[in-house]
Amino acid sequence: MKCFRICLALAWFIPVSALAQGLQPAPPSRLWIVAGGASGTLRGHCQDCAQDFPFRHGGALVGNAGYRINPRVDVGADLFWMQWRNESGRIRATAIDAIAQFRPWESTGFFVKGGAGMAFVRNWVQTLGPHPDDSKALAVVIGGGWEFKTNSRLGLQLFAMQHVGALGDLQTVNGPVADVTGNFWSLGAAIVIR
Amino acid sequence: MRYVCAVVVFVACLATARTADAQAPDPSVQEKPDLVQQLPDPVMPFVSMPVTFDREQSTGSVNTKEAPRACEGCPPRRIGTSLLQTTGINVIYGLANLARGQVTGRITPKTWWANMQQGWVWDLDDFTVNQIGHPYQGTNYFNAGRANGLSFYESAAVTAFGSATWEFFGETNHASLNDFINTTLGGVTLGEMFHRAGWLIRNTNATGKRRLWSEIGATALDPITGLNRFVSGDSSRVTDKPSDLVPSSLSGVASAGVLWRGSQSSAFTEAGDPFVEVDAYYGDANVGRSRTPYDAFWLRMRFGGGSAFSEARVRGRLFGQPLGKSGLQFSVIQTYNYQNNDAYSTGSQAIDAAIGTSRALSPRTNFWILGWGGLTVLGAVDSLPLGVTERPEEETSSAGQGVSEGPRYYDYGPGSDFGTLARLTRDGREVLLFFYVGRQIYSLDGVRANHFLQHTRVDLLLPLRGPLGLGASAEYFHRRSYYQDAEGTIKTYHYPQVRAYFTWGNR
Repeated sequence: MKCFRICLALAWFIPVSALAQGLQPAPPSRLWIVAGGASGTLRGHCQDCAQDFPFRHGGALVGNAGYRINPRVDVGADLFWMQWRNESGRIRATAIDAIAQFRPWESTGFFVKGGAGMAFVRNWVQTLGPHPDDSKALAVVIGGGWEFKTNSRLGLQLFAMQHVGALGDLQTVNGPVADVTGNFWSLGAAIVIR
Repeated sequence: MRYVCAVVVFVACLATARTADAQAPDPSVQEKPDLVQQLPDPVMPFVSMPVTFDREQSTGSVNTKEAPRACEGCPPRRIGTSLLQTTGINVIYGLANLARGQVTGRITPKTWWANMQQGWVWDLDDFTVNQIGHPYQGTNYFNAGRANGLSFYESAAVTAFGSATWEFFGETNHASLNDFINTTLGGVTLGEMFHRAGWLIRNTNATGKRRLWSEIGATALDPITGLNRFVSGDSSRVTDKPSDLVPSSLSGVASAGVLWRGSQSSAFTEAGDPFVEVDAYYGDANVGRSRTPYDAFWLRMRFGGGSAFSEARVRGRLFGQPLGKSGLQFSVIQTYNYQNNDAYSTGSQAIDAAIGTSRALSPRTNFWILGWGGLTVLGAVDSLPLGVTERPEEETSSAGQGVSEGPRYYDYGPGSDFGTLARLTRDGREVLLFFYVGRQIYSLDGVRANHFLQHTRVDLLLPLRGPLGLGASAEYFHRRSYYQDAEGTIKTYHYPQVRAYFTWGNR
């Protein structure tokens, strides 16, 4: 939450300082970079588990790097990193997705994004030995948000995203848990460099 | 009555959204001068939006309130309408589910909230529902975009929107990850194929009954574009077709005959299965610099031969580039695969990079070869748990109609694929075709295994008279599954197949 507030505050000041310096908006380059933070919530699920899993919360980092195809479409890679803790330890998830971001209306900052890739989960909870368990997963991401100052080199975006990681089996001390998926909801802000 | 309601809702959506879009055109468009064609983006023109305010030359009237059209024969560009119609399509599917008595259709805000809280999960539905039903549903979303003047990639985003909203808000079931992927990717592949096929049938320069029937025929293939055209009046406007929807070449062949299949436990079946197969080649995928998705695609559909609808393959070119003067052609291809017969079932959505070349062996004989490799975003293959040799009878579910409780006898997972296609033609007619594809599927849902599938096919064709010909094919499907159990079990399945048939048409 603290990370989210800092990002929000930073993002608030960026356009103000640009205006104060009287900068003319430069023509955007083909480069597309997004970096920011978010407040994340996770919930696990498995196909044959009877119980409902609790929601877990933690800070998350988000980054995009890619290429502007045209004023409405960007394509590239999405990086999502989140770590959270419970009573018995911590779990860290990193998702790397190929992503496309699309602004339906060029004149507004509203955008949607979606993509797919791989997630890597490092788990220190209920592991079989002293070392953490590493799992790979199919990752899918969807999301949307609003981008401010879309025509300048430096902008800001507020976003809401949902990442999902489909792990297959998750190894625990009680045996493997089959068909596990983890859903990550994130709400945050990011700086956009074009 | 519910169906009538559904149609009323959909038509209301069409009419309301049309009015709304016409009254509030995109501000970015308003800034541009009238009748000025915006230059397409130099890098990827197919995703840029050429804009012009259209004058209806056939009637001589000027409608300044109408949304902009990219060309005279193109539909007006209406983003809001496409999203509203996508929602309308979901309403219709939801009402259809209710009409069929499916308990999954009994949605409430409570079920919406429960689905949003749960997030994505794997579902337990039938193979056909997930691999054909959902992609077809996706074609409707995709064509809600195309019918409203959106580009291919914009319509892909509309498809994802339609699929996500259906999964979270259209059913009481939790949102299904496999449905989302299949609906979106399958919807894009099949949707663009149907959209282009519809424009092949549509005769926009004709009038009267001939025109009406061409529009009705196109509507059967692409209902959303067809309905939009009837509502907007475009179905009677005399214009040229949008130039990017006219293929550089078109050919096809229909086959009808008998198929015999065997397996590791039995030789070929005594009684063959009749089948009808259609192959269509839209555009020329072997040549040219292409930035227009699906300006070239290949389609194969087979009816009969082990099940009512046993095979569908679509390979659409997303990108094409000749490699210097070497005669090599680089392409990026999106594929949709579905095979479901009495012996095996498999399906996949993949993106491949391909390199091909064409050589004239003599003035009359030409040889073309293509090789590819890529990523399978999601693949499915029939699979029984270890120790189970026959698929058990399905038990009656107590959860209500439409609720799948499993078990599900096929696995899902991402993977990779590679393959080759070689073709020999004489006087423009195909005489030999060789096809091989290998696919690895790493099961993430179902029985934990690494499946390696191989499919080989050889066609020999003999031209008879005119478009008629004779054909014989040998086909071999092989699956090796590396199970992730303690013993590291490996199992192999193989299904040879031979076919004899008559052909009609020309490739």
